Amino acid sequence: MKKILLLAFVALAVRAEVTVIRNATIMTEGAKGTVKGSILVRDGKIAEVGENVLVPEGATVIDANGQWVIPGIIDCHTHIAVDGNVNEGSVSVSSMVNIKDVINPEDIAIYRALAGGVTVGNVLHGSANAIGGQTIVIKMRWGKDADGLIFEGAKPGLKFALGENPKRSGSPQPGSNAPLRYPATRMGVEDTIREAFNEAVAYKAEWDKYAAAVSAGQHPVPPRKDLKLEALKEVLEGKRYVHAHCYRADEILMLIRIADDYGFKIRTFQHVMEGYKVAKEIAAHGAGASTFSDWFGFKMEVFDATAYNAAIMASKGVLVSVNSDSENGELMGRLNTEAAKAIKYGGMSRENALALVTLNPAKQLGVDDRVGSIEVGKDADLVIYDKDPLSEYAKAQKVLIDGHKYFDRDEDISGRAGREAEKQKLLEMEKQDQAQRRRGPQ
Amino acid sequence: MKQRRLLVLIACCVLCAVAVAQPEPTAIAIRNARIVTVSGAAIAKGTVVLREGLIESVGENVAPPADAMVIDGEGLTVYPGLIDALSAWGIPSPAPAGRGGAAPAEPRAWGPEDRPQTTSWIKAGDLIQSNDRRFEAARDAGFTSAAVFPNRGIFCGQGSLINLAGQKPADMVLVPTLGQLIALHTSPFGAGFPSALMGVISYIRQIYLDADHYVAVKAAYQQDPRGMKRPDYDRALEGVLESKRILLPANRWVEIERMVRFAEELKQPTILYGMREGFDARSVDHLKGKNMPVLVSLKWPEAPRDRNPDEVDSLRVLEDRAKAPSSPAVLNRAGIPFAFYSDGIDQTRDLERAVKKAIDNGLSRDAAVRALTLSPAEIYGVADRLGSIEKGKIANLVVTRGEIFDDRTKVEMVIIDGKKYTPAPPPPGRGGAATENRP
Amino acid sequence: MKPFSVCLAALALSASAIAADDAVLLRNADVYPVTAAEMKNASILIRDGKIAEIGEKIVVSKGMKTVDLKGVRVYPGMIDSGTNLGLTEIGSERVTNDTGEIGEFMPQLKALIAVNPDSATFGVTRVNGITSAMTYPGGGRGGGGGGRGGAAPQFIAGQAAMIHLSGWTWEEMEMVRGAAMQLSFPAIAGRGGRGGGGEEPEGGRGPAPFTEAKRNYDQQIQKINDFFDAARQYQKERTSNAPGFTKDLKMEAMIPVLEQKEPVAIFASQERSIRDAISFVDRQHVKAVIIEPRDLSKVAAELKAHNIPVILGRTEALSQDEDDPYDKEMTLPAEAYKAGVKFAFGTFSNEWSRNLPFNAARAVTFGLPYEEALKAVTINAAEIWGAASMTGSIEKGKWADLIVTDGDPLEVTTQIKAVYIKGKEVPLTNHQIDLYRRYMTRP
Repeated sequence: MKKILLLAFVALAVRAEVTVIRNATIMTEGAKGTVKGSILVRDGKIAEVGENVLVPEGATVIDANGQWVIPGIIDCHTHIAVDGNVNEGSVSVSSMVNIKDVINPEDIAIYRALAGGVTVGNVLHGSANAIGGQTIVIKMRWGKDADGLIFEGAKPGLKFALGENPKRSGSPQPGSNAPLRYPATRMGVEDTIREAFNEAVAYKAEWDKYAAAVSAGQHPVPPRKDLKLEALKEVLEGKRYVHAHCYRADEILMLIRIADDYGFKIRTFQHVMEGYKVAKEIAAHGAGASTFSDWFGFKMEVFDATAYNAAIMASKGVLVSVNSDSENGELMGRLNTEAAKAIKYGGMSRENALALVTLNPAKQLGVDDRVGSIEVGKDADLVIYDKDPLSEYAKAQKVLIDGHKYFDRDEDISGRAGREAEKQKLLEMEKQDQAQRRRGPQ
Repeated sequence: MKQRRLLVLIACCVLCAVAVAQPEPTAIAIRNARIVTVSGAAIAKGTVVLREGLIESVGENVAPPADAMVIDGEGLTVYPGLIDALSAWGIPSPAPAGRGGAAPAEPRAWGPEDRPQTTSWIKAGDLIQSNDRRFEAARDAGFTSAAVFPNRGIFCGQGSLINLAGQKPADMVLVPTLGQLIALHTSPFGAGFPSALMGVISYIRQIYLDADHYVAVKAAYQQDPRGMKRPDYDRALEGVLESKRILLPANRWVEIERMVRFAEELKQPTILYGMREGFDARSVDHLKGKNMPVLVSLKWPEAPRDRNPDEVDSLRVLEDRAKAPSSPAVLNRAGIPFAFYSDGIDQTRDLERAVKKAIDNGLSRDAAVRALTLSPAEIYGVADRLGSIEKGKIANLVVTRGEIFDDRTKVEMVIIDGKKYTPAPPPPGRGGAATENRP
Repeated sequence: MKPFSVCLAALALSASAIAADDAVLLRNADVYPVTAAEMKNASILIRDGKIAEIGEKIVVSKGMKTVDLKGVRVYPGMIDSGTNLGLTEIGSERVTNDTGEIGEFMPQLKALIAVNPDSATFGVTRVNGITSAMTYPGGGRGGGGGGRGGAAPQFIAGQAAMIHLSGWTWEEMEMVRGAAMQLSFPAIAGRGGRGGGGEEPEGGRGPAPFTEAKRNYDQQIQKINDFFDAARQYQKERTSNAPGFTKDLKMEAMIPVLEQKEPVAIFASQERSIRDAISFVDRQHVKAVIIEPRDLSKVAAELKAHNIPVILGRTEALSQDEDDPYDKEMTLPAEAYKAGVKFAFGTFSNEWSRNLPFNAARAVTFGLPYEEALKAVTINAAEIWGAASMTGSIEKGKWADLIVTDGDPLEVTTQIKAVYIKGKEVPLTNHQIDLYRRYMTRP
């Protein structure tokens, strides 16, 4: 009985986890637009947003007077938190590999992205292959283990890549006598993807036949489970999103036609620097576009890149996001001002610009029921800025995920001396240890 | 009486001799020694009798049989022979276990079907060379057995439990198949699949899916081959099926989490090896209740020699170096079964120092001894024949003057399969001598 | 056709002779001269490409072109102190790159003469308010080389030029032909990655890595000193017209450096390299600017004591060291300021040159006074590169390198309304804007 009471008490204590952020300018990115007021967080979810929110007893109160709150930033294309190479680049179709297997929760890039207000990231395989590896969406729950980072319920994806990167291994590299890998042209990239889906369709038929036989009461030997084709089968069945790295208009169109032929959808075109040229076709297919704010000039296929890409595509009805493609979290740490560039280049409204890194990527990743805007019932993934978040002068002060504080600039700063002291202590210990060893065993 | 005198004479000869090859007595009795049985309480003063390679009897009140060569154990301690739980001793390759060494010359792999870096059918027992000089160094440190594994590639091959002495390799093998050593070894650029860590993991996953399928297809064919296409013979899968236990590498706590999950997914009996961050509470959390024994590398991380003084390692790296030797103590406290392995260390003093370091970092001497005797025997399922001083077990012992792993302790002899081996005298200028020569 | 153009030229000539016609008056603007206090409702008279007058009451002469700038601001054009503009078009396409010539010591090479005035990057950069830049002959950033990958290390890459970002030819773009001699100072290879998982490097018993690297490093510094010593010897023989003296183009190029007319732009990032670079400067008695001193905080006092200015890289950057604070690179300018080290900003990438103002703003976000950030992209750069008489502020007699904005020029959402380079209004268009206009009309 005592034990039960105690349990009940603990449950109550857990349930009573309530936080209120007060006196803030809140860019909700939801129906309420931008409001001055408070956000009530209960059990990790947003319980109330508005001018007059009563502070429940025992609630943790964050006074954000003069500060701004936006939904946690979502990066639709990142390569952080990955152990080992982000590319299984040895083969043209590497759909058998899975980023989920190599998530590294100790990657400092997670924390640094968090410090820039990022709460969710789509962790992608690299772009060395026409069909790349399986991808996973994470939350930046710094300090948790790998499993604790996974955004539970978010649909996994598969990386595709078109253009220069996947065909690079098809051309001789100076100083290397490695055998050439097909394909070496955009034609070959198309063929590689078609061949793979041709195989996947047959594979799916084999399994469907097997399933039918089993349900008919027979006991056939199951077909061989092939991890490479399994991922493609999931794409055909709509269980896995396709995130396709691409630059040029021709290859974007090409992939749309493959998808049409095989009856699957491209969820997002990534980078998609010439997306503005085929915005109509992208919108008609129903794909999203996740682009760079202002990258250009680094390779031939971005020669026609324009900083107005996001604005043009959005004006033509494409669901657009802006991503970082970051490996170390640098660009992730300032996606708020990357979004603001859409105001400069193309005159997007403030709310639409911020949506490029919040609500839109949430929709692209199919998690907009959970994150992407500050609305009742959604996860309390929130960023508090000292100034207008669409300004270069704004710094993230606090970042909450599921209502828990994962970043606090003040705590970060006050903790620095302690970490440095700890390091010096270990260095000193090591120095003494080495000196002792040099003197020989006692 | 005459016979007795002769025996004593022989005993004297043996004690004085440095060389190993002597006419072997059928029975040896060590009396008046402290006996650390490991399986039970230590015997302050007792006798252990060995006959025909087995332990005949052990106890306080055991009388040496009349025909036994008697060794006076006054001032000596007898332990079960030490076992290296993951070793490359005897394997003709300079590469340390689990590291893979130079890339094997095999054709470029275009996918898992090409079975890249796989020699799962190879047995270490078939590779060992009985004249490997590392055996002697290991014996001098008290080791009598080792779980040796082939050490190239991803599926390196099957381990064998061997004794560290024998006329020919076949005499040395105690258990031919212990399990599959798996290394997360990527192919270098241009050498094909798998070139990334996630590719290696996917490959291992595919192998076990293929093995299941292989078994099913073969069974169906066995039942009724008529009208059915003959299953392809796949030696990689044959090897995998032959030895079910797998050894997976995990040093960081992140890797421990990853490999614990992976092992559970593969549904193979698994041993994790490495454990540099076994000291981390998160490592322990992930290992607890998993029935997954671990092997702790004795190669403690050290600062690289002659490094750029301008460079400072990260806090994580420094912490690893400072705390790795406390991993055994932490694992021991948490009740996670563990054993030690040499991980490329093959010098007598280095082995002794490495174990000592774990003791200096909080592991009790008893626990250290257990992690080198009964624990590895249990982990590999051979505790019925090895790992403790019990009647009927294989006569593998180490006899020391002073407590084992103490700086001043000397290994007086090791006994393997009932045969006695005495260490070579330390070459001049080693150990303390170096200090004295210092100006 | 021909007679007409001749006629035009003649007209222009006569017009300038009687003054007035090419003059433009920018009226009623809020003027931020940088070197002086803000002036509300002021006017700027531009004549012959230069700032002829600034004031509240400038008499409009008859026929003078006037531009009303009520409600907007005028700032001096910004200067990027680190680019390869005009020399590199597409980073990954070798044939479009003219940086990083072969050779260890190549002081005779001049970036200026390889500047392609029609590089697409100029237009992209200009419309964001950057009107001048330092363009370097080498793509390298420190590290005992800076030459092409795999090639022998390069120490002196050649002469960097200060250029205007607009002009029909590179001669028209020239501001300071030999603005600096680019020297990549040696470095002892740093650790790669982010501190990794604590893996030890393989082959711990191999050859001594530091001892070897240090020897190599010392030899490289010696080599640089030897080269400068040889140049000084040449200078002596040249002055005394020694018998048998023959002209050497490499050595000739070093004369302005030895005479302290041209600074050495020393790429040195690590503490050890920066310290040794300072010793080198002392020993060789040259004028120096240290480029991208990432470890600046450890040597700020010495830099200040030696009066050596620095060019700071992008604040849109992260430390490689996982233990460093996340904002370490962003607070670097504030630290330089507190230590009294003079600095300007460079983006060290053509693609990011247009983001120069945002990098400066980010320094303000992390502690740098706003005025200092503005100076670092204008007057400080001009002073460091010997162009203070030409640009960097709105002052009488300087080139009319001006930008017209609807707000703070460092802020990302601010629109640049007009750009003047040498008094000429530069059309606010480029390849990217052309594509925007064209594809917005796609049905």
